Amino acid sequence: MEIRVGTVGGSSPIGRQSDDSGLESLQFCEEIQGLMTIPAENASSFTALLELPATQALELLHSPDSAGGATAAVVTDDSVPKPYFSAFNCNLTFPTNSALIERAAKFSVLAEEDSPDTTSKVALNLEKVKNEPTTETDSNPNPLQTLISDPAVENTNQRPTKRKEREKKGKGSTKKSKNESSEAAEKLPYIHVRARRGQATDSHSLAERARREKINARMKLLQELVPGCNKISGTALVLDEIINHVQSLQRQVEFLSMRLAAVNPRVDFNIDSILAAENEPILESNFPSMVAPLMWPEIPVSGTRQQYQPQWHFDGAVNQRAWAMDEHNHHNFSTPENSLLSYDSSANSASLHSNQLKMEL
Amino acid sequence: MRNPSSLKRDFLKKWLMGLQIYTTTNRNMTVADRKRAIKLSADIALASSRNCATRWSRAVIAGTSVHDGSFLVANGLLGRAVCERIKQSSSKITRSSWSSGKILKRSRRVGRRKKCRKPAAEWIARRLVQKRTRTLRGLVPGGEFMDEVSLIEETLDYILALQTQVDVMRCLATTAYVAPPSL
Repeated sequence: MEIRVGTVGGSSPIGRQSDDSGLESLQFCEEIQGLMTIPAENASSFTALLELPATQALELLHSPDSAGGATAAVVTDDSVPKPYFSAFNCNLTFPTNSALIERAAKFSVLAEEDSPDTTSKVALNLEKVKNEPTTETDSNPNPLQTLISDPAVENTNQRPTKRKEREKKGKGSTKKSKNESSEAAEKLPYIHVRARRGQATDSHSLAERARREKINARMKLLQELVPGCNKISGTALVLDEIINHVQSLQRQVEFLSMRLAAVNPRVDFNIDSILAAENEPILESNFPSMVAPLMWPEIPVSGTRQQYQPQWHFDGAVNQRAWAMDEHNHHNFSTPENSLLSYDSSANSASLHSNQLKMEL
Repeated sequence: MRNPSSLKRDFLKKWLMGLQIYTTTNRNMTVADRKRAIKLSADIALASSRNCATRWSRAVIAGTSVHDGSFLVANGLLGRAVCERIKQSSSKITRSSWSSGKILKRSRRVGRRKKCRKPAAEWIARRLVQKRTRTLRGLVPGGEFMDEVSLIEETLDYILALQTQVDVMRCLATTAYVAPPSL
């Protein structure tokens, strides 16, 4: 899959992102990009996900796992010459774009559903809370634009959506809101926060309720992220699971760093002066090549992966092997190791150690 | 949202860089030292591969100290200016949120007196959640100074990052295993 990255060559963010994940996640990545044109520091963070509907975000989350099948397909394409690839990419972008637009349209329908005038028809036991006006939800040729325009507006659109769903559930299917949303065109400076019968309606408790809903939505995401957590109900129990998960991950990091420290003195290199003497030049020379060439810029596409293995230095080799481990499940990867002579000579001293540890494991 | 594997690659790159910085600073290390170096550099690399956009990563960077050399690593990976800025801003945040925390506590105490007539079960449930939230605050770096919403967001991000870290480290550990027998 790295080879594909090489062909795309970082020309566009879309191409860059499409490298590992399959069609599915390509769509979603693009979609997210479309939706999140908010400042760069947010765009890279996971929390950007939270603005998406839960299901999409979840699919995104799980895409690394599901990408395995897709990568296989990509790997088989390795021998395809370069021009074809660009064509392939173009082909890819078209359906995703249409799907994206369609989805975005759906999304904006949802958003507009909450735009004030529709709800003013619906509202029976509802009450108005003065809020910031939604200025940008008027008829826009590109439905995406309404969404990207401003994170704040997006937020205000997003929040009522959840409430809308709850409202629907509470009221039953008395209203056909989609039809109404199509006629929704004009804008009002109000946003409705709904209260069910018997719920408090002063601004404090409304704000509190909004906050709680926000927390619940995020909790749901978190619940999906942590394995074995989605069947549990109850905030305390879910929090328990989350705490356990975080702790176990942290413990794993501790353990793995211990293991790496014990097993392979080469990983934190040059412990012995001898090793330092023979390694440092390699590492130095490797450094620039390590920065860029994980992307494989200069390697032509028209070959299989195996041919390039003799060229790798230590770090590249470790990288490559690490990533390949992901794909190949540790099996058919014993072949390239013979070519990595510099690596084994030092690891010899650690082999005793490592075997011991293996036994313990 | 970044691609998980690009995040992995980024992390590994930064991690190795951090390790190099470590090993150039001090040569003779015991296993425990090495372990600590690996752990610290992995953490810093994780935080810096997040580009310091999230609060937990900023907290990790701010938590680096000059004594164990981790500050050097952070400097090397992020650049001195960025580190200084983060340190300063985080100390500011710490101070301000301490004071606001006190105020919050006082107001909460006032509020609690009113809520005393809530049913016992609800009160217990709330206490349980509060206790766990406090634990979670202790686990997520910088979590002491977050409100609940952002705490959960940061936890999400942190869990993802931790999973990346664990994956990469495990890959490296397994490759380290595979190597010796093939000689």
